[in-house]
Amino acid sequence: MIPFWLIMAWRELRSAWRHFLYFLGCIALGVGAVVGVSLFSSNVERAVLKEARGLLGGDLEIRLSRPVGAAGSAVLQGLTERGILRTRVSELVAMVARVDRAHGAADVTQLVELKAIESGYPLYGIVRVEPDLPLMELLRQAGDSCREACHGAVVQESFLIRLGLVVGDAIKIGQASFRITGVIHTEPDRMANMFSLGPRVLISQDGLVAADLVKPGSRLRERHLLKLPAAMALSPLLRELQGRLSAESARLSSYRDAQPQLKQFLDQLARYLGLVGLTALFVGGIGVALSIQAFVREKLQSIAILKTLGADTKTIIYSYLGQAVGLGVLGSAVGIGIGLLLQAVLPQAVSTLLATDVLQQVEFTAVLSWTALAPLSKGLGLGVLTTLLFSLWPLLTIRTIKPAVIFRREVEGAIRPGVRPEASVWRRAIRVVTADPVRAVTAAGIGLGLAGLSVWQAGSLTIGGLFIGGLLVAVVALTVTAKALLLGIRALPSPRALSLRQALGNIQRPGGQTLGVMVSIGVGVMVILAIALLEQALVRQVGENRPNDSPTFFFVDIQPDQAEGFSALIHRRTGDVAPDLTPLVRSRLHAINGQAVTVERESEQEDQPSQSKEEKRKNWYVNREYVLTFLDQLPKDNRIVKGVWWKQGQVFPRAQVSIEEEAAKSLGIDVGSSLDLNIQGTIMRAEVSSIRKVEWGNFSTNFYMIFSPGALDGAPMTYVATVRVSPQDEVALQSAVVAAFPNVTAINIGEVLSSFARVLDRLSLAIRAVALFCLLAGALVMAAALAATRYRRLYEAVILKALGATRALIARSFAAEYAVLGCVAGVIGVFLASLFSWAILRYILELPWSLEPSLLGIGLGCTVLLTLVVGFLSTYRLLGQPPLTVLRHE
Amino acid sequence: MIATQHVTMQLAAGGQTVTILDDVTIDIPEKQTVAIIGPSGSGKSTLLGLIAGLDRPTSGTIWLNGVEITALGEQAMARLRLANVGYIFQSFHLIPTLTALENVSIPLELAGDSQAPKRAEELLHAVGLGHRMSHYPVQLSGGEQQRVAVARAFACRPPILLADEPTGNLDSSTGQQVIELIMALHRDAGTTLVLVTHDQHLAASMERVITLRDGRVASDQLASRHPRMPDQEL
Repeated sequence: MIPFWLIMAWRELRSAWRHFLYFLGCIALGVGAVVGVSLFSSNVERAVLKEARGLLGGDLEIRLSRPVGAAGSAVLQGLTERGILRTRVSELVAMVARVDRAHGAADVTQLVELKAIESGYPLYGIVRVEPDLPLMELLRQAGDSCREACHGAVVQESFLIRLGLVVGDAIKIGQASFRITGVIHTEPDRMANMFSLGPRVLISQDGLVAADLVKPGSRLRERHLLKLPAAMALSPLLRELQGRLSAESARLSSYRDAQPQLKQFLDQLARYLGLVGLTALFVGGIGVALSIQAFVREKLQSIAILKTLGADTKTIIYSYLGQAVGLGVLGSAVGIGIGLLLQAVLPQAVSTLLATDVLQQVEFTAVLSWTALAPLSKGLGLGVLTTLLFSLWPLLTIRTIKPAVIFRREVEGAIRPGVRPEASVWRRAIRVVTADPVRAVTAAGIGLGLAGLSVWQAGSLTIGGLFIGGLLVAVVALTVTAKALLLGIRALPSPRALSLRQALGNIQRPGGQTLGVMVSIGVGVMVILAIALLEQALVRQVGENRPNDSPTFFFVDIQPDQAEGFSALIHRRTGDVAPDLTPLVRSRLHAINGQAVTVERESEQEDQPSQSKEEKRKNWYVNREYVLTFLDQLPKDNRIVKGVWWKQGQVFPRAQVSIEEEAAKSLGIDVGSSLDLNIQGTIMRAEVSSIRKVEWGNFSTNFYMIFSPGALDGAPMTYVATVRVSPQDEVALQSAVVAAFPNVTAINIGEVLSSFARVLDRLSLAIRAVALFCLLAGALVMAAALAATRYRRLYEAVILKALGATRALIARSFAAEYAVLGCVAGVIGVFLASLFSWAILRYILELPWSLEPSLLGIGLGCTVLLTLVVGFLSTYRLLGQPPLTVLRHE
Repeated sequence: MIATQHVTMQLAAGGQTVTILDDVTIDIPEKQTVAIIGPSGSGKSTLLGLIAGLDRPTSGTIWLNGVEITALGEQAMARLRLANVGYIFQSFHLIPTLTALENVSIPLELAGDSQAPKRAEELLHAVGLGHRMSHYPVQLSGGEQQRVAVARAFACRPPILLADEPTGNLDSSTGQQVIELIMALHRDAGTTLVLVTHDQHLAASMERVITLRDGRVASDQLASRHPRMPDQEL
């Protein structure tokens, strides 16, 4: 026999399906918001990360200073079997000779940065070449048509300028001949490097073998780039390979470490998206909670009747829990559908609203992969758990309630049985727990489940914890305010206007929903507005770091006697003021405070597992080459943290040096220490006069050590110049400089910078898009949830109408009621949002916080408007019906 | 059949304690028909609710069919009610989402009666609503709704039927029909019947009339035209 509760559930569903549908819709919207936002943000994150991966050319880079040995080779082979894509890039400095067109003999030579690649390169990002053909096509052996020039080579424009070559000419590298088949414009993974030794020449690995340049002891940089299958986690593999390749002295880095500045942004993006997901979870949860609560309230009358008829508690709880859970599960399922739809449709809406094609730019694809399962199951979990929490709690109350109480009193009173309102909160809480441990334990269990869900959604215990803490604070603050509001209204004289009097009466009516609505609006405003505040802070931060006035070119190796001529040339060509020339002196650290530093190993082999992190770091600082300079003024983005910078024209008996903070810390240097530096065999002593903090990511010339003016006089130095020029003038300027000063190397960092700036632009647009998405979804859910709470009030509205109140009067009174609630909850929510965003910025994103009065004002305005419109619309239409119809149906 | 001893009911309202029933002791033998009358607020409905176990008195004891219900838990009370008590409300209290047939079926289904739908059908026929079985409460008139409620109250053939102003919401002729229905069912099943009413005429048709005033029993009279005496001394 079909159990009674199932029959009951079926009958209720059948007769009131429209009503069910309404609740279903509200729940679905809540769950849909979570799923939609989660899916959208995971797609956005994937798109941005893809862009970031381009800067390294892979997920993971294994860098070696020689070809990989047999053991390492086996390790790398093994990776292929695990579904990891791999490509090898060899970089070395080589001499390239021009092959005389007439005689085929090598004549002029040029030092180049040679890069050999194999198929698969680049694993991420795009290599832009001219002609626009597949890279391997351009680099492959030219077959029969070639007698001498057998392999293809793609070169940088500056290489052609220097050697006076054109595409199609032949060059000789090592033992092999190559034909220039194209010009390379951008490579995703070419990092800005101050000491680029020459223009880029790109060949294939086969070409490199033919050239026969790699000999034991050659200075070579082997990079193995890896692309992991989507399901594989990066960090474990990184650690694993670090261990297994330690014998190879390999250095491993992930795309997150490729650019320290970018790493910070990506971390922030990940955390931010976690927060956005949580917000959606909370707002969705509120939506589900309000809907289920309204549903259960509606059923209380039926429950009381069943009790009178002699139904036992178990039957009643099963019947209505069955309905509520069925509603929750079904609603969640529909919500997942809505989420899928949202993430397919909303990106376009977001693009339109932001007037940008960023999503297309980042190769945004609204694809569903296995990763979508996580958001989907989160949505389902949220729907079911919230439903359980908000239905089981009142339903379990019913066990101990006498039917007469349900009939006699308003529903609100019935939900808190046996607890006298005079008692203190704690006493009441204790009494509730002791009176009904089952209920307390059940609720606690479900609450923990939701907390777990929050932590899962946030992807971090700290963030999840902060959110739950924030929620608790918000609920307490809002409850207190709601109570204060009720007391305040009671104390106020009754207003003249009937609609207002009615509105205030409704707010303090026993069994009203003031508390629930206020807490919901307040929490909703808090989390949504906090996201808007975070978005501002993040976008501002990204904007500040975007390289705007960064140079296009670094010209390096300018000799002292060329400095003047170079400046004049740049001034002539660009019309700019003289370029910024910075003197450079190469040196190595010799001694600290008279104690010679021990050089343990070559820098490439620093990653010994036996060493502690500090030791490794110290070794790195001891062994590296220091590029020194002397400067009058403290460079921009530098900040003195200890000691003092020299004054202009100040003369010192001993050379003064300012040290970068981290280097000073690792080397144990303080203000007053003395340093001995080895400058091409000559030892020079200097006194540390200050310690600086340096913003390394600012794309200008940064130094670990800066000397006082004059301190480096006589040392062999070169100059580096930074020049800014518009893209169309790049080639002409480069040609002019190379023609006048053949030894000067031009490094076009504009390309690198623009790709970095592009990543940042997309990052900030992604942040804004996600925030907007979250805002829209949040507003939608809040509106639906508020509307759900209105349903119950219809009856009294109709009675008022039957008594002769006009439709407008009633609508006004409802609007006024909701405006008051929206206003009070909105103010608290805005305040809490500021507090909350401060805490998140301070402790999670580590960014400065600032008050945003205009944003808060807009947030408050929108809240009031939203509640007002919802309060108005949800009643106005229904009020159009004749009172009798509604009265009969009540 | 029904006995109350020193039943007192107090409610806290607005910080004050209101005494609704004050030391009520009555004894109703099997098959007797009793009317409880009295002015509004005299505690009639509360007394009926207490007898049905819908609420618990502040002090005093109540016996139903030999069971001290004031000592029972909520669960046991529900089971006792299912087996022994039929209850009719002034405002019908049908479950709005169920049809007439289903509303009547519920007590039978709760009692695990496998013939529930068939029995419910018979009952609806008996109250003259055989043609409105699949109608929802909102589609029925007040009198029809109350007849459904009567059918529901009698569904499990309870030995006790309690009716709280069953005609209060009905016009006099409809009310009369409902009363006739209740009386007919009472005669057929030999049910003990207690009803609360304002209607003097209806009260007079009962074997015994208990008058409450300010929560106390003001008078307790056997109607003279009913010759049958109760078994106990009053």
